Amino acid sequence: MPDNATILRVAEILIDELKLEDVTPETFNPDLDLVDELGIDSMDLTTVVLVLQDEYGITIDEEDYPKLSNVRLIAQYIEEKLKEN
Amino acid sequence: MNVKHIQTLEAASPGERDKVKFSDIIRDPEVRMRWEKVRKYFFLRESTYDMTNRCNIRCDGCYYYEGEKQFAGETGTPEQWRSLMRSERERGITYVVLAGAEPSLVPDLCRVCFEEIHLGCIATNGVRRIPESVGYKIHISVWGNDETSERIRKAKHLLEKQIRNYAGDPRAVFVYTFTRDNIDEIYDVMKALSPHGCKLTFNMFSAPVGYTGGLRHDAQSLAAARGTMMDIVNKYPGHILFSPYNAAAHTHTLGLHELFGCSYPRMNPSTDIGLGRSFRQYRTDLSWNRSASCCVPDTDCADCRHYAAGSAVVTARLYRHAADAESFKAWLDYVDTYLAVWVMGYEKGANLLEHMTPPPGFDL
Repeated sequence: MPDNATILRVAEILIDELKLEDVTPETFNPDLDLVDELGIDSMDLTTVVLVLQDEYGITIDEEDYPKLSNVRLIAQYIEEKLKEN
Repeated sequence: MNVKHIQTLEAASPGERDKVKFSDIIRDPEVRMRWEKVRKYFFLRESTYDMTNRCNIRCDGCYYYEGEKQFAGETGTPEQWRSLMRSERERGITYVVLAGAEPSLVPDLCRVCFEEIHLGCIATNGVRRIPESVGYKIHISVWGNDETSERIRKAKHLLEKQIRNYAGDPRAVFVYTFTRDNIDEIYDVMKALSPHGCKLTFNMFSAPVGYTGGLRHDAQSLAAARGTMMDIVNKYPGHILFSPYNAAAHTHTLGLHELFGCSYPRMNPSTDIGLGRSFRQYRTDLSWNRSASCCVPDTDCADCRHYAAGSAVVTARLYRHAADAESFKAWLDYVDTYLAVWVMGYEKGANLLEHMTPPPGFDL
């Protein structure tokens, strides 16, 4: 399970980059499906990925995008990448 | 996935990523401003629609009259089209491209589409004017000077008619398709268009599957088209919607699929996210077929350098262009051009990069 701090930071980045209103990192449902339920597209996801790469100093391959379907899974992916480094 | 595609992905991976941070690239105020300008349009999600199986001219190399789609019946009434557009909107489509064979022959259907989805574009030969009540971008196809148009499109004084119908119309973008044997004719075309303030962008002839005619490009004609494009961009800066990176991407000896990996369903089996998930190409009977879905169905994918394909395929590759400042500026120029060509009211800015740069992972 990913750390709650990572989940909150990922949610914060998503909210900032996608300019989401009426939601905070604390109220953002980490299990919300970003594509099916939030309606984000590949360009939005790429933007978030670029910011996450800078923030955590990791590389997120394009082939891995399908794995990044909600905040919890993104946080888990980041923590696994950080362990690999 | 072919070898070149793998090379492209690798080129944008760890090594280069370690050198430059995205936040550093967009720290440049000019870059930042352009990035903020184009990203407002990331909500665009397109599909394309054949409106009628009729056309008022018949062109050598026309993609519509290849393959099976030309035999689809015209069963759609205005109310059926309205219903289709509503269901498209519900599944997230925000941009429509009305294409084959000649949408100006069915203006009522075009109007219904506009009433339901307000952003879009119509590809037309420009012989008949599309009513102003249809507020989409209008792309008028030009395949050479009038002599050439008469020979390969069997249409007399075509450019004259196109100018008469669309001069001064903010919807209009003339699309000049470079074939192997009309490259120098762009100079005649620009002499005719520029006094009327018409805007123009470039397309590259992309052969339909099985095409054996003389319009298909070779290495020599690709190089000649590239040089001519840049010359015209410099001679008519206020009239041309194009960038050096557009020229680099569309006149490369490798097609768009090999350079960027086509993201349309026809070449992309993934339904997770992006075009592979949402794009459909509807035939005149309102059916669609995933295996044939792309913006120019029945084009030979290996030869595809089509401007419409590039607008999605190059634009979608934000990630690999964000590996260094020069590639990212090139990508911004490309997207800025694409939006000016396809979106009503969007104004193109000055190109950030005045020289050509290669697609990530490839040479020029």
